[in-house]
Amino acid sequence: MIIAFKENVEGVLLACSQLLDRPDHDLVFAKDLNELRDKISFSGIEGEMKVVGFKPVANCSELAAGIFCKRKSSRMSQRDPGVERYIDLVLRHSSCNPAELVHLICSCAGDANHLYSGKALAGKRYYNYMRDVIRAYQKLCMFARPDLVNGILSVKVDSPHFIGDMFCRWLAGKNPDLPVYVVEKDIAWIGNGHYLGLENFMTVRSSFVEHLSFSREDDEVDHLWDVYYDSQMIPSRRNKRHSKHLQPKSSASVSEMSRRDRYKVERGIASCTLDRFNT
Amino acid sequence: MTLMERMKVLSEGTKYDSCNQGAVCHAFGPDGRCIQLYKTLLTNTCSGECTYCPNRYGRQSAKASLTPEEIAKITWSFYRKNAIEGLFLSSGVMGDAERTAEKQLEVARLLRNQGFKGYIHMRLMPGTPLYLLEEIADYANKFGVNVETTSSVNYSEICPNFDYNSDVLQRLKWTRDLINKKRKEVGYGGRIIGANDTQFVVGALSESDSEIIRTVDDLMDRYELRRPYFMSFNPVPSTPLENNPSPPGWRETRLYQASYLLKDYGLKAFDLGQVYDDNGFLADTDPKMLLAQSHPERFPVNINSASLKDLLLVPGIGPVGANRIIRSRPISSEKELMRMGVVISRARPFIEINGNRQTNLSSFMEAS
Repeated sequence: MIIAFKENVEGVLLACSQLLDRPDHDLVFAKDLNELRDKISFSGIEGEMKVVGFKPVANCSELAAGIFCKRKSSRMSQRDPGVERYIDLVLRHSSCNPAELVHLICSCAGDANHLYSGKALAGKRYYNYMRDVIRAYQKLCMFARPDLVNGILSVKVDSPHFIGDMFCRWLAGKNPDLPVYVVEKDIAWIGNGHYLGLENFMTVRSSFVEHLSFSREDDEVDHLWDVYYDSQMIPSRRNKRHSKHLQPKSSASVSEMSRRDRYKVERGIASCTLDRFNT
Repeated sequence: MTLMERMKVLSEGTKYDSCNQGAVCHAFGPDGRCIQLYKTLLTNTCSGECTYCPNRYGRQSAKASLTPEEIAKITWSFYRKNAIEGLFLSSGVMGDAERTAEKQLEVARLLRNQGFKGYIHMRLMPGTPLYLLEEIADYANKFGVNVETTSSVNYSEICPNFDYNSDVLQRLKWTRDLINKKRKEVGYGGRIIGANDTQFVVGALSESDSEIIRTVDDLMDRYELRRPYFMSFNPVPSTPLENNPSPPGWRETRLYQASYLLKDYGLKAFDLGQVYDDNGFLADTDPKMLLAQSHPERFPVNINSASLKDLLLVPGIGPVGANRIIRSRPISSEKELMRMGVVISRARPFIEINGNRQTNLSSFMEAS
């Protein structure tokens, strides 16, 4: 028999429940029913199939509590997220195999601590996946610099993991008084869309957001930021190695402003400029 | 002066101030410090005569100030651009502490009335009256007065216009009470109310590191100080301390490490007695490592049976790692510990796993 599940938190948890009852079953996963049909017809799988997670019916918290019941699912550290969030983050990783994740969760024997301890090799790998996704998300939160165009905060992102919607929600939460949109390749997410007469949060094609307008407000602050950034430098404390570690090369690709900051980390801040010769 | 020039002058005036909100850093300076707040002075004109300060009364320097509207506009611009998380506002003393606090309050009120949801930290002047502290608590996430040094005698030497007990410690007490009150009212869900914090100037006077750590411990007990900040003294030309040497750069780092032992490891100042030299100063070595080396009788610690308190004393094992170890027992190898985030090269001489430990010189001598 085959357990077919959707690639989301609910789907993974439901598949775990099924697999715990029938450990000899095979797993198939898909983003939606169309993809599932394609997969099945392509691979020629035949036989009885239990399809779970494609219709949202279950309560994820209850499901998680049912699976991790043998021991209180206490978190390893305050900074690590709970089980549902862990699964959500891991599923966003570009290398994540949802079937492997289901097997990992089942191998924990009800003890959620195994997901965080890193004691087992697979557990450590998936724990690192979660950390990778968090790091990529934090990198966006740190170094992305949205522009205020026609009164809308807009930013283009490019991440190896599927975190554009997470970042859009974060940006919308930080600026609750403005509509925001985040574009990644041909997909865009709109946050605080009610200001534009749209749904509060929605996913659209990127061409849709090009002509959106909220007000005439534009803001150009790059030069002001450069003056401020330079003013915070203490030359006697320059620590190139440490600052390069904190503002890594990859940050330069996130936005133009971060690129300039990174350049100054690498090369220092010029104490003498051409302007000085003119004055 | 243009807005840009004034902004530059006043931001430079705060570059030695440390303040971390603990959330998102948006940039790092070439010295490796996180830039997450727009740090500025309201004005660098000051009626105080603090002996180490570049803005002290009577010292010739470019004077500038920003209006509350200008500060609010710059803060909004940086905030929208996702370059900062909020504002850190300090100031020179504009006549007296009350007038200065009124102006600082004006900035916070303006921002909040404009719908600003970001973080606001105010460094207030010694002697700020209680009624203004109460109002500031309504708008700012964090506010506090710097203690600068360890005793009233030292304080009167570097800040002759203020009184350590009434202008500083009394304000720390009020701040503690207001924070506790606000936490009950607002809670963590609404607006984060920070804990009491303060800053020391390190190296301006001859106070030792042990004195500073004792004072930190005392402030933690009495005023629920969460995190002390340390600012290395830098001699400023045309000030009374211009000929004093600046302390070595690492002193600030070692003081931070020692303060973390109080904050995160549950140690008290008297537990650290062994880490200082004869004059009470820290060496350029991790204080936790020194502490472990000075108590060989406590080690090796058995990873599979030691208590949380004992694990925390092992160099290379922090609070997160210690918790992971306890929840993941039994541990059978160093590899497992490494995967849990333990710095095994530091921890190895102090731990024992299933009866195995690193051979040391003394055990070799005993065996022979």
